[in-house]
Amino acid sequence: MKLSHQNLRREMDILWILTKKEIILQYKRTSLGILWSLLNPLLLALVYYVAFNIILGVKITNFPLFLLSALFPWTWFSSSVNAATVSLVSNRSLVKKFLFPKHYLLMASVISQGIHFLFSIPIIILLVYLYGKTVGVIWFIGVPLLLIIQFIITIGASLAVSIINVYFMDFQFIVAFILNMLFWITPIIYRLDSIPETYRFLFLYMNPLTPLMSSWRELFISNTIYWSWLAIAFLGSLVILFIGLLIFRRLSRRLDEVI
Amino acid sequence: MNEFAIDLDHIWKKYPLQKDRPGFKEFFVNIHKSISKKKDKENRHFYGLKDLTLKIKRGECVGIIGKNGAGKSTLLSIILGTIFPSKGKVKVMDRVTPLLELGAGFHPDLTGRENVILNGILLGLTKLEVLKKIPSIIDFSGICEFIDIPVRTYSSGMYLRLAFSVAMHTDPKILIIDEVLSVGDEGFQKKSKEAIIKLIRGGITTVFVSHNLQDIEEICNRTIWLDHGKVMAEGETKVVVDKYRKETMCTG
Repeated sequence: MKLSHQNLRREMDILWILTKKEIILQYKRTSLGILWSLLNPLLLALVYYVAFNIILGVKITNFPLFLLSALFPWTWFSSSVNAATVSLVSNRSLVKKFLFPKHYLLMASVISQGIHFLFSIPIIILLVYLYGKTVGVIWFIGVPLLLIIQFIITIGASLAVSIINVYFMDFQFIVAFILNMLFWITPIIYRLDSIPETYRFLFLYMNPLTPLMSSWRELFISNTIYWSWLAIAFLGSLVILFIGLLIFRRLSRRLDEVI
Repeated sequence: MNEFAIDLDHIWKKYPLQKDRPGFKEFFVNIHKSISKKKDKENRHFYGLKDLTLKIKRGECVGIIGKNGAGKSTLLSIILGTIFPSKGKVKVMDRVTPLLELGAGFHPDLTGRENVILNGILLGLTKLEVLKKIPSIIDFSGICEFIDIPVRTYSSGMYLRLAFSVAMHTDPKILIIDEVLSVGDEGFQKKSKEAIIKLIRGGITTVFVSHNLQDIEEICNRTIWLDHGKVMAEGETKVVVDKYRKETMCTG
């Protein structure tokens, strides 16, 4: 066996090349390329702006900033999970013909979408200054912490959905539905305190995306970290990662037979 | 140190049958299709390999022959480690370099160069090693001017030549080959065969699957004849190949 640091080097290189492949391929043969990862949430935000602010007359100040400060992180989550769902089946030939850690495929999806998310932060900064606010020093603590928590949640969910989808291809349609549902039960286009107080704790404790997305928003808009939200989100992320790992390990035993 | 590079001990590989659970499963169980169809549909499983024991010494070149669906590719994948045995123990002492479906790891939308890096790393090199070897890989494949365009525009011959070239440059210790001596045009076939023979003479361990019995006779010192997942004969190449020839002549 080779020296372990060389193995580590090689493993990192595998993760790097798979991530690079995801990034290159996602917008290959398009004219706007990576700009689409910004345009998509921006266009989506425009739709919500018209629907909620203009048609329904929802009164939220600085609605575009309010919306995008949670919509960009949400997009990272949902597009990662979407990509991860098919990450094993669409790379079937790699899985069958090469020996490497299979979970790197879905990690590559999550990392590449994460990089797209990082590119959207300048837009948020722009909006922050546009609305006469400032970027606080606290961002340098908050952003990395929230990145880590969201990374753990997303990896956990991706582990589960990617391997289940190998056994039940129908699952990708279920995932699409679940993501849609999660979008509406997570405070993204509305505030956490718009939820009636009787149920609020349910949303907060049962769905770690709720404290996570709310934390992103509070950090971006009001330079505040609510440590209790962070703690709930972090604990939730560990639970999701644990469940994801359990499902992935259990089901990957027979991966070679069904993929 | 163990003298065996590959040590397979009473390997069984069980596959669920495709018709096993109608509906859902038909979507995704599709490897082994060709084999499972022959079997009784009432069976819930069939065996791709049955109680197979195989020890291969360092530096040995072993040929595997047998009809389609005999379990040859399953055996190679078990050595590679992408398939786990249902029962039995697998010990492989070194990194295995697969020459299976050449170009299987290529993505059509990536350029030749990008695919070389992707495949080189997946075959066990580090990024730095691949970058160092790229000129030599391109040179061997002989497709210099097309290396920076997407491989979907390549002819199938070019595709295979590039894939073969990458694998040859990964410093193989154990090589498993599935029917890839017929890559590209005549000139490249000769070149690739020479490259493989040079590696084998250089002392790497090789497991070689082929339907071309002449290649087997030329390259392998020992041969195993598989049928329905079982070893029918094993031993000196000439003896086994002759036996196999006789058998296939009889049954047509």
